[in-house]
Amino acid sequence: MRTRSLAAVAAAMVVALSACAESGGTEPAKPSDVSKDLTTENITLTLAYTDDPPTQALIDAFHALHPNITIKGQQTPFSDYVKSIKLSMAADTPPDIAEYNPGAMRSLVPAGLIYDLTPYEKLYGWGEAFPASSLEVLRSNQAAKEYGTGGLYAVPGALSVLGVYYNKSMVTAAGIADTPSTLADFEQDVAAVKKGGKAPLSLGGLQVGGFQLWNAFTNALGDESQYRNWVYGKPGSTIQTDAAKQAAQKVIDWVNAGYIPASANATADSDAQANFTNGKSAYLVTGNWAASAIEKAMGDNVGFFLLPQATAGDSVVASGASVAYSISSKTKHPNEAAAFLDFMRDAKAATVQFDTGFMPVNNETAVQATGVRADIAADFKKVVADNGIVPFPDFASPNMIDRLTSGVQGLLSKKTTPDAFLTSLQESWTEYHG
Amino acid sequence: MADTAPLARRRPRRRARRVVALLYIAPAALVYVAFAIWPAIHTVYLSFLDWDGILPATSAGFSNYTDVFTDPTLGPALWHAIVLIVFFAVIPCALGLLMTALLQGNVRGMTAFRVIFFLPQVLPLVAVGITWRWLYNDDGLVNQGLRWIGLGGVTRAWLGDYNLALVALGLIGTWAMSGLCMVLFLAGAQKIDVALYEAVALDGGGPVRRFFAVTLPALRGEITIASVITTIAALASFDLVFVTTNGGPVDRTTVPGLLVYRLAFNESDIGRASALAVVLTLIVIVFVTAIRTLTREKA
Repeated sequence: MRTRSLAAVAAAMVVALSACAESGGTEPAKPSDVSKDLTTENITLTLAYTDDPPTQALIDAFHALHPNITIKGQQTPFSDYVKSIKLSMAADTPPDIAEYNPGAMRSLVPAGLIYDLTPYEKLYGWGEAFPASSLEVLRSNQAAKEYGTGGLYAVPGALSVLGVYYNKSMVTAAGIADTPSTLADFEQDVAAVKKGGKAPLSLGGLQVGGFQLWNAFTNALGDESQYRNWVYGKPGSTIQTDAAKQAAQKVIDWVNAGYIPASANATADSDAQANFTNGKSAYLVTGNWAASAIEKAMGDNVGFFLLPQATAGDSVVASGASVAYSISSKTKHPNEAAAFLDFMRDAKAATVQFDTGFMPVNNETAVQATGVRADIAADFKKVVADNGIVPFPDFASPNMIDRLTSGVQGLLSKKTTPDAFLTSLQESWTEYHG
Repeated sequence: MADTAPLARRRPRRRARRVVALLYIAPAALVYVAFAIWPAIHTVYLSFLDWDGILPATSAGFSNYTDVFTDPTLGPALWHAIVLIVFFAVIPCALGLLMTALLQGNVRGMTAFRVIFFLPQVLPLVAVGITWRWLYNDDGLVNQGLRWIGLGGVTRAWLGDYNLALVALGLIGTWAMSGLCMVLFLAGAQKIDVALYEAVALDGGGPVRRFFAVTLPALRGEITIASVITTIAALASFDLVFVTTNGGPVDRTTVPGLLVYRLAFNESDIGRASALAVVLTLIVIVFVTAIRTLTREKA
């Protein structure tokens, strides 16, 4: 008797559950009635984001220009943001604007929950105003399987780039006078630091620092369009290239040479950064998002350069990303939301972006900078001019970040061969892009 | 319903009492059904779907289950969880029993001992994990201690070591779980009739004999509970692994719980994540049943 009624309850539940099959369209959404004319009424938009700086400062600067448009920011720590943003965008009353995260929000594209911004791109002429590579990475086809092509799903609000920070006094003590102009130069510099009895590099192998080093080597050694196509999921692409293999081998070589600390696999990114700012290593490979914190800790004693190419004179390639914003297809004020996105190329926004440690979206703006941020700004200008910004490799498929992290841990502990590492990456790519 | 009807007609009063009883149970039962039973059933339902969390779900049949069983990462993860049982369950229970044998009776400062050993149990595992990550650091307390006693040669970043990361992780579990076992066993030992110990003493038995003849059998129930709780903690471990090694280095410390998390949140594959969660639940049930069968008193 008891078992029978339990079974009945269970059966009823399953029926009820199958009735609440999940809703959501299957068509990409495009805004209609696009216009530059904004409302004069007092309205409030909500903006969900994780990166601050620069978001709140950008919101404030926008509000100063449009006092009748209030933007209410909702900040969530990164690891919670990537878990919850997809669901909040699928809710009945989603935020009007949301900071874009490709991994977490990819499925919103085919579900039609964020706008394809192409009509606004045409209206405002964004194609001219933003660096091409910064928009390219935010484009996706309808199925969200191939990027760098198709509709535009977000607009960058601040740009970042991966490079090398160096401790000036440690480098000088090792007898190094200039920043390196080829990868071989850099290896000599690293060897000189090692010879002087100091640790050349801090590395956060526990998290993303490890694969970012491999990524930087790959960009220095190989053909950028091959790499870019692979990250974008272009049919037939592969990461099993000579450059990627040499880059993986170089990670192993650097471990063997003692350039990379043996404890790298147990070191978190924040710990690696702390080691560097505390003078425990001469170099740190990370992005300009860390610039303001590093400058605060080290003052004038720190400099920055982009990892040089293998051959002198080749145009520089570096991984970069952006803090970008998307518009919900359920917003009641798409034109005002688009105006906020358009504001990102404004000179006032550029000041905010630069002051908060990022690179301005509009690189025509002259920015006043000293110290490490002047280094970053100068190098960034060069790489953007060469169209040398490429996306980060974890963008390529949903579980790529796990493959990259554990794969490079294998290289660092000399348990994984470069071939096995690249095979594992390609396997994840093929599983997703087919 | 048919078989209860005549019974109820005969005893209407009893029926009323039953309704009242059900009313008393209802609030707790509703909460339990809503937050424990329903999600569990929902998970089973989701495990038969192909769903990314947003787009309309489609039926997947048993494909999620075949994926789970053919996934090459599951085997090692399961093996790691079983190794963790040694550190989370076997060693803590043994330590707990040893401490019980030593602390039984009126030892001075007993309460202090109990508080100190139980302390790890009240700390959230995330805080424990972060603290231990520092302790195990290159120049953390563990390595400082080793250098101090002249073992500088074996120091390393323990959680990043290819061969020893799992052991280092397991020892954190040992530290966290031993207190629980000890407190359970000490509480159980207090209800043992002193006359039994006297009887052993009269027969000429020493402390060892006393332990094996009286204490150990009397603690059977507590040992069962302690091993069930700690074994579940080992098999379903997630938080500790997530904050210390995140499965690394080179997936040497992955556990099934971490794979469920990655499938659901990194890969947005809710169906496969649910299928793996269901499989993990079944594995836990198998282990718990085995423990209960092994420790059951002979009829």
